Amino acid sequence: MLLYILKRLLASVGTLLVVLAITFFLMNAVPGSPFITEKSTPEQIAAANAKYGLDKPLIVQFKNYLVSYCQGDLGVSLKMQEGTPVTDIMFHQGKFQLSIKLGLIALLVSVIIGIPLGCIAAYNRGSGLDGFLRVVTTVGVAIPGFVLATLLLVTFAVKLQWLPTISGSLDNVKAYIMPIISLSFYNTCYLAKLTRTSMLDAINQDYIRTARAKGVTTKSIVIKHALRNSLIPVITFLGPLIAGIITGSFVVESTFSIPGLGKYFVQSVLNRDYTVIMATTFVLSALVIFMNLVVDIAYKIVDPRITLSSRED
Amino acid sequence: MKKKLVSILLVAAMVMSLVACGGNSGNGGNGGSSSGKKDNDGPFIINVCIASEPETIDPGLISSVDGSTYTQHQFEGLMKYAPTSDYADESKQMFNSDITFGQAKSVDISDDGRVYTFTLRDDIYWSDGVEVTANDFVYAWRRIVDPATASDYGYILDDIVLNASAIQAGEKSKEELGIEAVDNKTLKITLESPCAYFMSLCGFASLMPLREDVVEGNENWTDPSNIVVNGPYKITEWVHDSYILMEKNEKYYDYDNLGPDQIKWGLSDSETAIVSSYQSGEYDFIESFPSDMIESLKASGDCFVDPYIGTYYLYINCSIVTDWRVRAAMTICIDRENIVENVTQGGQTPATGLVAQGITDSTGKDFSEGISELGAMYSALQKAYPSFDLSTYAGRCALAKELYNAAVADGSWNPDTTVVYNFNTSEAHKAIAEAVGSDWQTVLGLNIALQNQEWNTYTTGLGEHTFGVARLGWIADYNDALTYLELFTTGNPYNYGLYSDSKYDSDVLSAKAKEAGAERDAVLYQAEEELFGVGGFPVCPIYYYTRLYCIADGIENCYQTPLGYYFFIYATQK
Repeated sequence: MLLYILKRLLASVGTLLVVLAITFFLMNAVPGSPFITEKSTPEQIAAANAKYGLDKPLIVQFKNYLVSYCQGDLGVSLKMQEGTPVTDIMFHQGKFQLSIKLGLIALLVSVIIGIPLGCIAAYNRGSGLDGFLRVVTTVGVAIPGFVLATLLLVTFAVKLQWLPTISGSLDNVKAYIMPIISLSFYNTCYLAKLTRTSMLDAINQDYIRTARAKGVTTKSIVIKHALRNSLIPVITFLGPLIAGIITGSFVVESTFSIPGLGKYFVQSVLNRDYTVIMATTFVLSALVIFMNLVVDIAYKIVDPRITLSSRED
Repeated sequence: MKKKLVSILLVAAMVMSLVACGGNSGNGGNGGSSSGKKDNDGPFIINVCIASEPETIDPGLISSVDGSTYTQHQFEGLMKYAPTSDYADESKQMFNSDITFGQAKSVDISDDGRVYTFTLRDDIYWSDGVEVTANDFVYAWRRIVDPATASDYGYILDDIVLNASAIQAGEKSKEELGIEAVDNKTLKITLESPCAYFMSLCGFASLMPLREDVVEGNENWTDPSNIVVNGPYKITEWVHDSYILMEKNEKYYDYDNLGPDQIKWGLSDSETAIVSSYQSGEYDFIESFPSDMIESLKASGDCFVDPYIGTYYLYINCSIVTDWRVRAAMTICIDRENIVENVTQGGQTPATGLVAQGITDSTGKDFSEGISELGAMYSALQKAYPSFDLSTYAGRCALAKELYNAAVADGSWNPDTTVVYNFNTSEAHKAIAEAVGSDWQTVLGLNIALQNQEWNTYTTGLGEHTFGVARLGWIADYNDALTYLELFTTGNPYNYGLYSDSKYDSDVLSAKAKEAGAERDAVLYQAEEELFGVGGFPVCPIYYYTRLYCIADGIENCYQTPLGYYFFIYATQK
């Protein structure tokens, strides 16, 4: 297992390199400049390019990125908060932590509510309860996040005035509620549907019938036997979901005025803030790669029959 | 039974979490860090949202209206905007403003109008207690024209203050700028030639004084922990992408009369979030909301319309649409009344020229009304084609067809050409483009391809002149027609349509060098008429801007300038 993890970590370096190369050359292929404004002159843009080394050949710029990344330097922002180190913006100003906090809570809510609901629906297949849950979850995966966020905002903040419209830096419990619901609703519903389907597959297996015949309790069958086997596809979904929840939180962060990383990432692309695009891509890619590794290890824990590498065959 | 009960409880928990979420009522709407109305004995905090995170609040680098607004609350120039006694609109919560002395207490102007000698007030201090001196102005003005600063407004002093253009061009050093500290309290500014609007320029946000020892060598000097200001308020906290908090500056000479204890500027780019926060009471003032809510906000008495000196116009690329008659036809056949009444719906005025409504000539007359009843856009054509009645839309369409057909007939325009109309991503720009394109198609039979681009790609295309037609809005930098007319001179960086006319160039240059008066007014009127005469039409004005805002009941004594700034310095709360 340890060898496998080491191998995967080494491979991750190569993956990151490819991701960075693709991002770098793609972003430079798109027209625009971080220094263009309604009032900037070509001379000013040229001066700014020279200041930040953007006048050098692309391959040299890319090499400079890699060298500075190896030294732990993600560069300085070229547009918003110009000249401020990207690491300061992402970490010291708390953008990364805010998005991670929001994303993880939303993920937790999705798992805690979605998986049990899927189990309940599967175990009550064909009942009124199952029908109700199927309708709710289908609606849930069909509603776009921004519609739900706006709906919540108007209902609970504007009309009822129970919750604040500005969640800001999530300083109090109330500030979390609407962003978390907006972020987790789709995933909760999707997880419930996924769990239900996997669960139905599992409870129709011979070993479940055998267990039933042996007089094992329903609770024990669901938790010890069916659920464990039905979790494989759910785990597969959860890995990329974490990174997705962070990068995909742009709409939620914007709607609830949360100064997080998702919003910053999207703005950096629109602003052509090259160093920020590269840095956020780097951090988020690393996160996705790491989560994929965690998922693979989780497979092994959930189902020991799964092999992680050819050596284990 | 037990199983079912558990199931029902779980479902109920999910539904409750979605519907009730912390269902305790109370003052949650104002909860969190953004709460801020005056309690009986508590501080008065005004919550305002005018834009998202500013790129910068460095006076020398700002280029946006919101950045300038923050600057003008923190810094004060030789001149400043102060409230007048007349209301800006029916809200009776917003006053107009006028330019008056700020850090200067008097000025002596030489007989030839070229040398301004300002005397500074005796009671002006930076927020750290250091006295404001003439050298602070010298430093800031030199900094803005220094090419190394790469200020977007570096050009603002070009052809006005002595040597500014040469310094910008790299031909002279910044020390040769026509500004000099005679002593700590006396500042002498030498101009290239008399400038009719120089006094109002001295209140411009980019020309605020700066402390060299604070700014130099410190890229983060605008951080709340580093910044030193000379204006009424001082930033004390900046949570990026969330809010800027300002508090009264105790060292400001008018400290005793200042209004809010704190001004909290929300930073948001979501119109839905902004208007929701206003409606829930978290913001006291907003000026951005979805256009489809304007009517309902107006009807509820929350939304007010303010004058705003700006023109929404289209560049017509002269290197692509080479025949002026086609450009003229495209310009005059647009149904502008339809656009402002049915598309934008924000109380805008159909444009009749390039120079925006609100710009005045030397007599105080609105420039847009000065040239003729028809306006500059139709004036020259009416003289050239008297048989068409250009006061009516039908008459304008008839002339447009005539001009277009003539261009097609003599082979200078291929009617099968498709003109690419670029606009930056926005529902409002798209709707306008569709309305304009429809008029061109219907009246002229012109083929149009609408092209939506995100901002950065769009502005790159403008600079590379790769468009047939492209939109832009220009908000006046100062109250003078030159702020618009200068844009279309040969070689001007904003002359994206590549228009070039030597007569027009010389008229603009000559107006720049003249003192305010009838003679200068005549040259300016003539220049605008030339822009829309034979050989012209590089620009197609659509409407003059207005500004919409919502202000909470009880907030009073705010003031505004039609150049786009709102001030909350003396705001009070009932």
